[in-house]
Amino acid sequence: MQWLREMWTKEGPGISKNAPKKTGLALFGQTMAREGWEMVKLNILFILAALFIVTIPAAVAATARICLTHVEDRNTYLLRDFCEAFTRYFWRATAWGLGFGAAIGLGAYAVITYAAIARDNVLLVLPLMTAVVVTVFLGVLACHLLVLMVMRNLPALTLLRLAAIASFMRPLPVMAAMLFVAALWLAHILLYPVSVFMPAAFNFSLGMFAIVFSAHRAAETVLDLPPEPTRSDLKPEAGQAKHI
Amino acid sequence: MSSISLRKLNKTYGALTVVHDIDLEIDDKEFIILVGPSGCGKSTTLRMIAGLEEISGGELVIGGDMVNDVPSKDRDIAMVFQNYALYPHMTVYKNMAFGLQLRKAPRDVIEQKVHEAARILDITHLLNRKPKALSGGQRQRVALGRAMVRNPAVFLLDEPLSNLDAKLRGTMRAEITKLHKRLDATFIYVTHDQIEAMTMADRIVVMSDGRIQQVDTPQNLYDRPINMFVAGFIGAPQMNMLPSVIERRGERYVAVFNGRDLPLPAHVDQSRIVPYVGKDIVVGIRPENFHELPPADIDPANMAPFEAVVDLAEPMGSEIHLNITVGEHALTVRVSPRFKAAIGSPAKLVVDTTNMQLFDKETQRSILY
Repeated sequence: MQWLREMWTKEGPGISKNAPKKTGLALFGQTMAREGWEMVKLNILFILAALFIVTIPAAVAATARICLTHVEDRNTYLLRDFCEAFTRYFWRATAWGLGFGAAIGLGAYAVITYAAIARDNVLLVLPLMTAVVVTVFLGVLACHLLVLMVMRNLPALTLLRLAAIASFMRPLPVMAAMLFVAALWLAHILLYPVSVFMPAAFNFSLGMFAIVFSAHRAAETVLDLPPEPTRSDLKPEAGQAKHI
Repeated sequence: MSSISLRKLNKTYGALTVVHDIDLEIDDKEFIILVGPSGCGKSTTLRMIAGLEEISGGELVIGGDMVNDVPSKDRDIAMVFQNYALYPHMTVYKNMAFGLQLRKAPRDVIEQKVHEAARILDITHLLNRKPKALSGGQRQRVALGRAMVRNPAVFLLDEPLSNLDAKLRGTMRAEITKLHKRLDATFIYVTHDQIEAMTMADRIVVMSDGRIQQVDTPQNLYDRPINMFVAGFIGAPQMNMLPSVIERRGERYVAVFNGRDLPLPAHVDQSRIVPYVGKDIVVGIRPENFHELPPADIDPANMAPFEAVVDLAEPMGSEIHLNITVGEHALTVRVSPRFKAAIGSPAKLVVDTTNMQLFDKETQRSILY
C-alpha cells in the first residue's frame, strides 16, 4: 500500500517564487485544474442554496464571491465564506437580479418578437439588431455589475456607472465567457443522458468562474479610476469659469 | 519563562527500558540538540516532553510547572515532525491556521499571524497551495510556520531536515538558526547528524542506549569528550582510537602505540596519568592532528614521527582523507590535497599530540577529565 501513502507524501515539484505567472487561457486552465474539486463542492452548495428559487440571486452572488477568491488566488473556507456571502449580498443581489432579469427578459422578448416579424418585413431587421445588441449589452453589464458588487461595497449608482464603463471598455472577454456558459449547457443538452452529471458537478460553478475570470481585469481597472470630484472638492472660482 | 527540567525521566515498554533516568536542565531561550545514533532514546525523550508518550517515571517540569499529566495541547509547545505531518487535503494557509482555529482564535488574528509567519519564512506565495505541489524544503517551512503561528514557549523539532538533500539541509540549518534568534524561544532539536548538532546548538546532549553521555557546548564536546563514545561520535571523520601503553621516559610520559612513542602534552595533569603507567589504555587522536610536515606553530615537544602504509585516498576537494594502516590498525588522517601517496606505499607523517585524548580501556571513560 506504499503507493496509497505516497499519493499524499511524495515530494512535489516545488513552486518557484519568481516563476513567470501564467495569463489568459493558460491561467484559466491552471486555476481550474487546481480548484477543480472546490468547484464541484461549490456547485453543490449553489444548487442547495438555489432550491428555494427566490434565493437564486443570492446564491449566484455567493458563488461569484467564492469564484473571485479562486481568481485572486486567495484562501477561502468554502462553506463559511459561501454562507457569509449569501447573507451579506441577499437583498442587493435579489434587487439587481430582479431588475436585470426583467430588463434582459424584456430584451429577449423583443428579439423573439422582431425576429418573427422580420422574416416578412426586412425593415424590421434594424430594430431586431438593436434589440440583440441591447440584450447582449445588458448581459455583459449584469456580469460586470455582479463581479464589482462582490469585489467592493459601493452605492448602487456608482456600481452601475462603473459596470457600464467596464462593459464598454472590455466587453469581449465577458461575451466569450457567456458563450462558454452557453456551450456548457448546450453540451449538457446534446449529450443527455450521459451528461446528466454536468449540472450537478460543475456547470454552475465553472460557468460562474468563467464569468468572474473574464470580468475581473476590467473590474480592477475601473475600481482604480479616481473618484468623481464632489462639489466640495471644486475650488471657489470654479463656478465662475467661462468656456472659451 | 520556558525553562525545562527533566528529573529522573524514564520510559519503559514492559520490561524494556528505553530511557534511563535522564536528568537535564534546559535554560529559557536555549537551543539544545539531542544527538545520538538510531535507537538511543532521543526521539522518545522529545515525545515525552511533547506529551505524545506517557512518562513512565520521573518528572517533567516546564516553566516551573510539573506537566507529567498535562495534555499536549496545554503545554505551550509546538512540534515539527520529520515527515512534516501536513494535512494533505488542506492548503498551506489552512494547515498553518488549524491550531489557532481549534483554539477559537478570532479570524483577523489568525489572518495576521499566518501572514506574518508566511512572510518570515518566505512562503507567502504558497498560501493557497496544497502540500502535494510543494518541494521538501517548502513543506518543511510550512511545518515550521504551523508551529510558529501559535507563539509557543518551546519548539520541539524531531529530525526536521533528515528528508532533505544535502544542499537544502545546509540552507535550512542556517534558516532554523536565524529563526531561533528571531523568535527568542526555547528550541529542543533531535538529530542523528552530528554536523547539524555542531553548527546549530548552544549545547549538545549526546545520548546512547537511553542514557545521556555528555552535555556541553559543541566545542567542548569536540575538545574534551568524556568517553570514547562521545569522542567517536562527534567529529568527522571520527577520532582514531589507538590501543597503547603509558610509559615513563625521564620526566615525561609517552603513550606507546605499536612501537611508536606518542609524547603526552605537558599540560596534562600528571596525577591522572600516574595510576595508568604500564597499563593498557586507548589513545584518541583526531584525523586533522596528522600532518605531512611539522606545523611551525606547534610545540616540537608534542610532535612525533608517524609512518604508516596508505590503503586508500579519498579526495574531498579541499583535503584528502587518507586511510592508513599501522600493523593491524586502520586510521583515517586528513592531509592537504597536494599530498602524493601511492596505494600500498609508506607515508611519512607527523602527529601532533597537543589535543590527544586518553581513555581507560575498561570503563572507556576519559582519563583526563
